Amino acid sequence: MSRAWKSPVIARDTAPTPTGKQQSLPFAEPAPLVTPLSVTPTAVRRLWFCIWLPNLPLEACRSSDEALAIVEEQHGIHRVLQTDRKAAAAGVMPGQSANAALALLPVLQLEERSPVREQQALEKLATWLERFSSFVSIAGKDVLLLEIAGSLRLFGGLPKLRQEISKGLGKQGFSAALAIAPTPLAATWLARAGRRACIRDEDNLGPALRKLPLACMGWPAGQGESLAGMGITTIGDCLRLPREGFAKRFGVERLLELDRALGHLPDPRDSWRAPERFCADFEMTEEQSDRDLLLNICRELLTSHEQFLLARQLATQRLCFSFFHLKSAATELYLGSALADRSAARWFDLLSIRFEAVRLPEPVIAVRLRSGLSQALQAETARLCFSGAKQKRRYSIAQLAERLVARIGGQSVNAVGMVAEHRPEYAWNIQNPLSDWSSSTLTMKEGVRRPLWMLPEPTLLTADGAYPLHRGCRLTLLEGPERLETGWWDDQAISRDYYTAVNGAGIRLWVFRSRQRSPDWYLHGIFG
Amino acid sequence: MSLEKLLENPRVWRGSSQVDSRVGLASGYPKLDRCLPGGGWPLEALTEVLIGQYGIGELRLLMPALAQLSTEESHAPYNDAGEYAEPGWIAWVAPPFQPYAPALQQCGIDLSRMLIVRPKDDSELLWSAEQALSSGTCAAVLLWPDKLDDQASRRLQLAAEKGHSWAIAFRPLAARQQPSAAALRLELQSTEQGTRVHILKSRGGRPTVLDSLL
Repeated sequence: MSRAWKSPVIARDTAPTPTGKQQSLPFAEPAPLVTPLSVTPTAVRRLWFCIWLPNLPLEACRSSDEALAIVEEQHGIHRVLQTDRKAAAAGVMPGQSANAALALLPVLQLEERSPVREQQALEKLATWLERFSSFVSIAGKDVLLLEIAGSLRLFGGLPKLRQEISKGLGKQGFSAALAIAPTPLAATWLARAGRRACIRDEDNLGPALRKLPLACMGWPAGQGESLAGMGITTIGDCLRLPREGFAKRFGVERLLELDRALGHLPDPRDSWRAPERFCADFEMTEEQSDRDLLLNICRELLTSHEQFLLARQLATQRLCFSFFHLKSAATELYLGSALADRSAARWFDLLSIRFEAVRLPEPVIAVRLRSGLSQALQAETARLCFSGAKQKRRYSIAQLAERLVARIGGQSVNAVGMVAEHRPEYAWNIQNPLSDWSSSTLTMKEGVRRPLWMLPEPTLLTADGAYPLHRGCRLTLLEGPERLETGWWDDQAISRDYYTAVNGAGIRLWVFRSRQRSPDWYLHGIFG
Repeated sequence: MSLEKLLENPRVWRGSSQVDSRVGLASGYPKLDRCLPGGGWPLEALTEVLIGQYGIGELRLLMPALAQLSTEESHAPYNDAGEYAEPGWIAWVAPPFQPYAPALQQCGIDLSRMLIVRPKDDSELLWSAEQALSSGTCAAVLLWPDKLDDQASRRLQLAAEKGHSWAIAFRPLAARQQPSAAALRLELQSTEQGTRVHILKSRGGRPTVLDSLL
């Protein structure tokens, strides 16, 4: 018996069973592989919708009008894997060598199979399927699983949901085999077997699975052959085998798979989560330098970006376009918006302003759009406007600022603010117009006169004795001095006597005499 | 025929009656207001200020009106239809020096409604000014262009009308000879008595010289 305790059959039995019934281990007599085992009745019934995409290698390929065949290298020879209808009509068959296929149809377009492309297509589909269920799983290379028990009510029942999914798949150019079953594996096998089955009750699962051929399980070819050699062709045949012997011969994993398919064992799956950041590429078949065409591509990308964000009620403040060239590094274009936004039209507006100034060193082969961190969309309540009052305001100040920034650059558009500081050059600061506008509550002291124009740096004035000169003309001091002596806590300490002076042309200037080191005169501002 | 009778004749066109009913924005200088049609700065139009050098009082001349624009709630440029209103912004396009925030605040300008734009060249300057004017969010747009031809001034004039905004262009004295679409052209000269304001052109008004205004 000690040997038996190591067997996985025991392991399964240690799962809590409410009846506490211990299964007698079938050693003496060849008991059926599946014994009527009571499983914890789960509170929530699960229903799995399986989408099998047998023609994924072909359908993941960009569609073109030419006859298309997907080839794959097998033992050093490129062989046709899948063909589209046109190629099939010309006699191109899977398994043919690429040369044979080309001989049959010289205009045939051959595409190498690309697992990356297939995975991308699957992920795109999974993202799309998220609208039907909160639980979408990518199972293997060509299978998608949805848990739909929770979605049935919302979509008005199983037939409607099924119809909607199948219609949507067709629209996106995918041919799929669909099946519905209470366990994910059963649904997958039913789909692979081509049964448009819909099994809602777990009791009906066994009979339905028993009839399926072994091939639908996707087991390694060697195991399938040895099973066939034993005269076992269906899952039902398989289930009649003794468990212990089956596990020894074909591996524990296979046995567990059967148990999971029948719902005797839990079968947890990974849920697919679409990336929260948008990133999409548009690849062109040949290099392009036509700006209108590139802008159109960008518009398409922005539209899919808008849909991506709309599905998540998100918005973003930053976008990055990359224009890829064959020979030189990609040209990057960053866009910023004052308000988080998802509207393709607004982003396109900004892009087209910005794109005018972009110099592309070479023609472009691909365009990528990446979005920055997204945030929850702050929806605004629109006015219910029946009066037909003309909308005079074309856009808000934030929109104006971002348009200006898009064209002339972020450093060139600022706001200004006050700083509590006595030194005139530090009493104000430049603020970023795209961040939140802040209004300071600081006020200047009464009776202190400050010039409207400030020079970027104080300029040294020549002096005629005690009097400063400006453009060769002696300045008349009108007011002052106002002594500013502060800033000892950093390296920018000042000690100055400020005067209001007037020059020969009647222009009032703000000048100071430094009290540090040499008593020089400086011009610091113009009263304007 | 007496003069009164002659004037009653509808075929007689008088320049002063051309003034549309729009009321100008009080400039804060009553002497100047009396000379301007509408009793103040013509809003929704282009005003040109010709100056020989910076600092002769061109900003002081405008400050009272700008302060009023930046704080006055009712003067939001799109408020007629009772829509969401906020005071207008003041955009400074390519100022020759840094507008000094503390002094502006002393003059009563709301600093949180100031936008300073520093374009790289004249074409960007005009584009920015036009955008700001026509956006409908700026109550006033001040610009310092190097060159401003007849066509550009007409564009600014149209943008100001479209966005219900006030465009103020500061230009050198040499521009006096050039034609302009501005509704008002002033020339500032500093004299010993103070700054003299010479109204060169005023739509619906008369050219006047105002001595020692500032």
